[in-house]
Amino acid sequence: MSQDALLKISNIDAFYGTFQALWDVSLVVKHGEIVALIGSNASGKSTLINTISGVIHPAKGTIEFDGRDISALDPFQIVTLGISQVPEGRRIFPEMTILDNLMLGSYNRQARANREQNLKKVYEHFPLLEERTKQLAKTLSGGEQQMLVIGRGLMSDPKLMLFDEISLGLAPKVTDELYKAVREIRAKGITILLVEQNVRRSIKEADRAYIIKAGRIVLGKNVSELQEEEIKQAYFGV
Amino acid sequence: MTVEVLAGLSRPIIMGVLLGGLYALIALGLSIVFGVMKLINVAHGDLMIFGAYFAYALMTTWGIDPILSLTMGIPLWFGLGFAIQKYVMSRAFGISMEAPLIIAFGISLILQSLTQIIWSPYSRGLEAPYALGGISLGITSVPKTYLLSFIAALVVMLVLREFLRRSYLGKAIVAASQDKRGAELVGINTGRVYAFAFAIAMATAAIAGVFFGLTFPFTPTSGVGFLVIAFGVIIIGGLGSMLGTFIGGIVLGLTQTLSGYFLGAAAQMLFVYLIVFVVLAVRPQGMFGR
Amino acid sequence: MDVDRNMKAPINQLKLMLPVVLVAVLAIFPIIGTPRVWLLYLFLFFVYLTMANMWNLLAGYSGLTFLGPGALIGLAGYTLVIVTWNDLPFYLGIIGGGIVAAAFAALIAVPTFRMRGIYFAIGTLVVPEALRYVFYLWKPVGGEMQGGGAGYMIKGIGGLSLTEFYWLALAIGIVSIFLMRIILRSKLGLGLAAIHDSDRAAASSGVDVFRLKLYAFVIAAFVTGAAGAIFYIYQGYIAPVSAFNIRWLMICLLATVIGGIGTEEGPIVGTIIVVFLHFLLARYGALSLLIQGVILVVIMLLVPEGIVGLVRRKTRNYQSLLQLATRR
Repeated sequence: MSQDALLKISNIDAFYGTFQALWDVSLVVKHGEIVALIGSNASGKSTLINTISGVIHPAKGTIEFDGRDISALDPFQIVTLGISQVPEGRRIFPEMTILDNLMLGSYNRQARANREQNLKKVYEHFPLLEERTKQLAKTLSGGEQQMLVIGRGLMSDPKLMLFDEISLGLAPKVTDELYKAVREIRAKGITILLVEQNVRRSIKEADRAYIIKAGRIVLGKNVSELQEEEIKQAYFGV
Repeated sequence: MTVEVLAGLSRPIIMGVLLGGLYALIALGLSIVFGVMKLINVAHGDLMIFGAYFAYALMTTWGIDPILSLTMGIPLWFGLGFAIQKYVMSRAFGISMEAPLIIAFGISLILQSLTQIIWSPYSRGLEAPYALGGISLGITSVPKTYLLSFIAALVVMLVLREFLRRSYLGKAIVAASQDKRGAELVGINTGRVYAFAFAIAMATAAIAGVFFGLTFPFTPTSGVGFLVIAFGVIIIGGLGSMLGTFIGGIVLGLTQTLSGYFLGAAAQMLFVYLIVFVVLAVRPQGMFGR
Repeated sequence: MDVDRNMKAPINQLKLMLPVVLVAVLAIFPIIGTPRVWLLYLFLFFVYLTMANMWNLLAGYSGLTFLGPGALIGLAGYTLVIVTWNDLPFYLGIIGGGIVAAAFAALIAVPTFRMRGIYFAIGTLVVPEALRYVFYLWKPVGGEMQGGGAGYMIKGIGGLSLTEFYWLALAIGIVSIFLMRIILRSKLGLGLAAIHDSDRAAASSGVDVFRLKLYAFVIAAFVTGAAGAIFYIYQGYIAPVSAFNIRWLMICLLATVIGGIGTEEGPIVGTIIVVFLHFLLARYGALSLLIQGVILVVIMLLVPEGIVGLVRRKTRNYQSLLQLATRR
C-alpha cells in the first residue's frame, strides 16, 4: 500500500446557495488509512463529504482522487471512479428488498461484473442481511438499516469509502458491531474517511484525525500525537 | 326486484370496468413520471391526442392500421420523450419549482395549436375493421373498442410492472423515486433515469392515443379533459404503483358509469371530478401510495 | 444638508405627480377622440393586468400556484347574469361577482390549502373543470339560451359604450396596482413573503399560515372576479365552455412569466406584450396560440426571471460596477 495521497483536497470553498459552508479546506487521505473528520453539529462535516461525492461542487480549489481532478464531476461518475458514500440518516430505499438495495449498489457498469462476488463479501460482513434478503428494507431496525447502507456502499467496488455519522442514534453495542465491520473493510484494502460526532469513538478507530469547526479545518494530526486538550480546544474552544 | 336491479346494474358495471381500463392506460405513463420526478406533466393529455393524430395521419395517407402504426409511433414517442426530458425538463427543474409545470403548459399549448393548424378543429376518429361494432360478454354486449382498450391497458400495466420490478433500469427508476440523493450516491445516473422514465411515459401515451382514438372521436383540445381524469386515476390509485393506477382507473370508470346510471348522463363527470377533489383533500397519496 | 433636502423635495413631488398625471391622461383618452382600437387594447390591457396582478400575488408572492382563475372569472360572470336578469344595475353585478368569487375562494380554501405544493396545483386545476359541468346542468335563470347550450346574454348593458367599459377597466386596473403596492408593503405582505419561502419556517416563526393565505386568496379572488365581470359586461354573453376555460390561466401565466414572476412591475410589462400579441396575431387564430406557447417555453428556459427580472439583474451589475469605478 503506497503512502501517497489517495484523496487530496486543496483549499476548497463550498456554498449552499449564498451561504458559505466551507472555507479554504484542505485534507489528505492516504492509501489504506482510516481518517476521522471530527466536528460538532453544523461544522461542515457533511458538506465536506457531499462535496467529495459531487453533490456539491467547490467554488474554488480542487479535489484530487487517485491523481485525477474530480471537483467538476457528477455524483454517479465519482461512484464509478471508486468513491462510495455511506450517507447519514440511513438512506435506504425503504420500499425495496434488501437484495434489491444491495444490487443497486452495483448499478455502475464497472461494478456489475463483480456483483456476485461483492454480494458474497457483504454477506460475510453482515450475515443478517443474507437471512433477511427478501424483506423490505423499511422493516429493518436502525442498526440493521445502517448495515444495509454500508453493504450497499461496498457493492460499488470502492477504493475509498466515506462514512457519514454511522453511529448516530444507535446503541453502543450496535455501534461496536458496525465499527468491527469498518475495520474488516479496511483490512480488505479499502481506504476510509469517517465522520463522527462521537470524538472518543473516532479517535479509537482512526489513524489520523482532522477537526473541523465552522467550515474550517483547525487541526490535522496523527491520532497518536493528539492531546485531549487540543481536541477540546479545537472542538469547543473560543 | 333485486334481480332486476342487478341485471340493470350489470351493464354500467361492465362498461365502467372497461372504460376504467382505458382511463388507466391513459394514466399509466403519467403515474411513472409523477411518481419518479414529481412532475405534473400537464401536456400528457395533449401528447396522447397528438399520438392519436399521428396514427390518423398514417391511416388516412397510407391506410396503415392504427394499432400497427404503433410500431412507428412507440419508438417515435419514446425518442421524443427522452429528448424533452433531457433537454427541456431537466433544465426546468434547476430553475424553479414552478418552471417544469409552466413549460409543460407551454408544450400543451403548442401541441393543441399545432394539431389544430394541421388537422383543423373538427373531430376525427381512428377506424379499424376489426374494431367496429359490439361484442357479447354474456349478460350484455359492449363496443369492441372498449374491450380492446381494456386488454391493451392490462397488457401495458403488466409489462410496466414487471419492468419496474425485475429489470435493473426499472429498479433504478423506482429507487430514484424513493430517494433521489441515495440513488445518486449509489452510482445511478439520475439524469438518464429520468429521461428513460419520461420516454416510457410518452410511449404509453402513444399507445393510449391509438386506443382512445379508436374508441372516441377526438379534437385538438380533447387532451385537457383527460388530463384531469388521468390525475384523478393516479391520485386514487397511488403514485408510481402500476397495479394501483390500473385499479384507480377502474374505480374512476365505475364511478362515472354508475353515477351516470343513477344520476343521469350530465352529472356523471361532475361526480367524477368531485371524487377526485375529495381524494386530493383527504388522502392524496391514494389507496396504494406511500 | 439643508440644501440637499430642498433639492430633493421637488423630485419627490415629481415622483408622486407622475402616476397621477398618467392616470388622468389615460382617463381622458375616450373623450379626446382616441382611436377605437387603442381603447380596446387598453381595455383588455387593464382587465388582463388585474387578473395577472392577482395571480402574481398568489403564485409569485404567497406560494400558491393557483391553476383555477377560470373558476373565479366564470363564477363572477354568471353572478353578473343573475344580477342583470333580475333587473338590478350592472355595477352591482360587478361587486356581486367579486363577492361570489371571494366567497367561493374562501370555501375551497379549506380543502385545497391542505394539499401540499403540486397537489394544490392539481386540485385547483380540477375546480374550473368541475364548475363547467355544474353550469352545463344548472340554469341559474330561466330564459333564452345562447351558443352551444347553457349560454346567456348579459342584460341591462345595452346603453353602455366603449367609453364606459374602458373606464371600468381602467378603474379596476388601477385598483389592482394600488392593492399590490399596499399589500406587499404591509404586515400581510411580510408574512406572505415568509410563507412563499417556506411554509414550515414561517409557521415556526409564529406566522398564521392558513389565515394569511386565506386573506391573500380571498382578496385576489374578489378583484379577479370583478375584473371578470367587467370583461363579460363588454363581451355581452357567457357560455360554460369558454367561461371556465383554461385560457384565463394562460393569460395570467403568460403575462406574469414574460414580465417576471414575483416582481411588482412584471405583470405590467407582461400584459403589454400579451395584449399586443393578441391583437397582432388575432387573425391567425391557432397560430397565435402556437407562438404564445413557444414564447412561454423559451422565456421560461432562457429568461425565467422575466423581462423585469432581467433588467434588474443587469442594472444591479451596472450599479455595482459604477460604485466600484467611482469609489462611493
